[in-house]
Amino acid sequence: MSMRDRLRTMGLGAFGLLLVIVSWEVIGRNQLLGRTFPALSDVLATIVDPARRGLFQRALEATIGSALRGFVFGSIIGFAMAALGVIFPPLRAGLDRLAAVMHAVPLIALGPFLIVTLSREGTPTAIATLAVVFNVFVATSAGLRVGNPLHHDVLTVLGAGSWERFRRLELPGALPFIADGLKLAAPAAVIGAILGEWFGAPRGIGIVIVSSLQNYQIDLLWSAALLGAMLSLVAFGAFSVLERWVVGRFR
Amino acid sequence: MTAALGGARTFASRYWGVLGILAIWQVYVSTQNLNSIVVPSPTAVFADVLTEPGAYLPHVWSTTWVAFVGLCVGVTLGIAVAVLSWLSPLLSGIVTPPAMVFRSVPVVAMIPVIARLLGYDIRTVLAITVIISFFPSFVFTLSGLRDLPAGSADVFSVLGSSRLTYLRRLALPSAVPNLLVAIRLSAANCVLAALVAEFLMGTQGLGYLFVRTRSEMDMARSWGAALVATVLSVSAFVLAARLEQWGRERWR
Amino acid sequence: MLSPGAELSSESDKSADGSTDPSIEHDDISISTSPVLPHVDASEIGPANLSLSGVTKRFPLGRNDTVLALDDISLDIAPGEFVALLGPSGCGKSTVLRLLCGLEEPTGGDVRIRGCHPSELVADHRLGVAFQDHALLPWATVADNVALPFKVAGQPVDNDRVRSLLELVGIAEFAKARPKQLSGGMRQRVSIARALALRPEVLLLDEPFGALDAVTRRRMNLELQDIWSTDQITTVLVTHSVEEAVFLADRVVVMTGRPGRIQTIRTPGFERPRSPELLRSPEFHELVDELTIALDEEPA
Repeated sequence: MSMRDRLRTMGLGAFGLLLVIVSWEVIGRNQLLGRTFPALSDVLATIVDPARRGLFQRALEATIGSALRGFVFGSIIGFAMAALGVIFPPLRAGLDRLAAVMHAVPLIALGPFLIVTLSREGTPTAIATLAVVFNVFVATSAGLRVGNPLHHDVLTVLGAGSWERFRRLELPGALPFIADGLKLAAPAAVIGAILGEWFGAPRGIGIVIVSSLQNYQIDLLWSAALLGAMLSLVAFGAFSVLERWVVGRFR
Repeated sequence: MTAALGGARTFASRYWGVLGILAIWQVYVSTQNLNSIVVPSPTAVFADVLTEPGAYLPHVWSTTWVAFVGLCVGVTLGIAVAVLSWLSPLLSGIVTPPAMVFRSVPVVAMIPVIARLLGYDIRTVLAITVIISFFPSFVFTLSGLRDLPAGSADVFSVLGSSRLTYLRRLALPSAVPNLLVAIRLSAANCVLAALVAEFLMGTQGLGYLFVRTRSEMDMARSWGAALVATVLSVSAFVLAARLEQWGRERWR
Repeated sequence: MLSPGAELSSESDKSADGSTDPSIEHDDISISTSPVLPHVDASEIGPANLSLSGVTKRFPLGRNDTVLALDDISLDIAPGEFVALLGPSGCGKSTVLRLLCGLEEPTGGDVRIRGCHPSELVADHRLGVAFQDHALLPWATVADNVALPFKVAGQPVDNDRVRSLLELVGIAEFAKARPKQLSGGMRQRVSIARALALRPEVLLLDEPFGALDAVTRRRMNLELQDIWSTDQITTVLVTHSVEEAVFLADRVVVMTGRPGRIQTIRTPGFERPRSPELLRSPEFHELVDELTIALDEEPA
């Protein structure tokens, strides 16, 4: 792609994003979609409003904490399940189905159960964990299974044992897949945490969303939703960068 | 006899994980001596679903219908915008970056916003399922329109193809397998998103049945709704995966 | 294979009226700005002549750099002639073919088919082309793939023509099969049948047998000769196989690379139809050896 084409692509993309922002502002300002669609500037003003700073800060801390814990636990569990399937192949089919069914269980059904068995505070973390497990498990098992048979043979001929082979071949080969799984898991952890909060966590972005919905606080509702969306975008963006680096390094 | 045994063994090797979870659930309920208002046993839940299917069916129908219509509308819109973007590089350049941003927005977490916008009824549920299925369809169809069989673009050029013929006879058929991937990815998500939306504000559907029966302390029914919903979303996924496989055989 | 000519001669009068209608589906990929010549009823035209005069082609390479792919290529091809472009990979022979297809524009010089810009023949659906990638549509049957040019041209599909082409290339019983069910050789047969569907004035073949094994390739060469001799269509074959070029062509144009130039032109005057015995004759081998040596020579 030439320099001019690249500039053109960037210009068009920036124009597209600008168009979204301007239409949001215009629609909200003139209430074209009714009173429940606020202007972007009002939403942003609510976010930076000093009076609300404490509220948003506590909510963000809670949600980020749950999402992070869920991300770490979920990644460990998902990775362990995938490794188990590779080390004991007879378990593989059952693990695949278990992951698929766990993914298909409506999270709203788990919420009340988790609140009873864990706690109100633990539910967002637990749901974030579940959301992460599936993504990491699917990506890791796909990655561990792609191993190039030719490389496999080369290492075997060189006298590598199965651990050595896992370390030198299967794991590095799976890293790009794992990075891709983590990239999808990061926003999933944020959604999981927010959903989990709906069931009655003491604080969090999800709580702000639900309470402002019930109290008809439109600007607050949109601010919290925008913060949640930004959180998941940032998580996705950060892991996209990581993925790009891993793919460049290991492929 | 051996065939039955072999069948049972295959079943066990595939479903040991799911069966294990059910067993843990049953044992947990029995040993903890939990009140059935907190957690009903799996046997009680299965019994309720099997003895009173009539209580579930209208809600199954409602959720299925909303998810299906939403999926169809979202996919159709996705194809339409993808084709327009394909026809106009200018439009493609403008639309693609916002689409990428919106695609990573947690739609399910935005349900309350849409509910305030559209009202506490089925329109919101439908809108959610449309949004959920639109972005994958758009992104996958657009890349599919450009993922042509090797050399075929040159053949069409030399044969003197018009752009419309090129779209109809080459680009669109090439995009079919990709589109089916998008449908596979969205089908179960549509069901799950519909459930969340019904849970929050619906007046019908399995998500609504779940909340209502829970508030009535009918826990077996409430968990039954969750169980049926799980089966529904697994079925949606399996059906969509079958469709995708068929399409790959037929189009590639 | 069947006896060449038998099927086609009975067909040639049938589709005479179903040819190009200037009102249907004008090509908008066309690059030409020269005035379009009055469209002629294609059935009245015999095979076309081709000419390249002083053609150069540069490709952009990086930001401000270009690479000279073709340098001063001049070549005239008579109507009905079979010309092979022979050269090592990267010598620009495929670029010559892409220029003749109108897929590329020359940087300098002129490319003409029957005195027209290639894009005019493209717009009239008068070119037939087959590539090394068979480029068949995987979702369509063999018969539908061969019928594709009719559909692209907005003409009613001439099913008799499709059937006789499938017979000509020896795959009539696979008409309902899909490309992935066929072997590599059979796919190339379909690809060539498709190229011939609209009775093009020029047949352009880019390494059509490049991916085939030696035995299949030799058999396909015999069949291609039969196909060509049925209506003596002007044919340009791009190949890196010396044997294939010498066996099939009236003239063999040897090219050298970096930049692509015509090094020498030889005329294998063997009598037609050429039989497999020719492949074992000393005259054949002498010419093959001579051209092989010519290919190995470093350009001055």
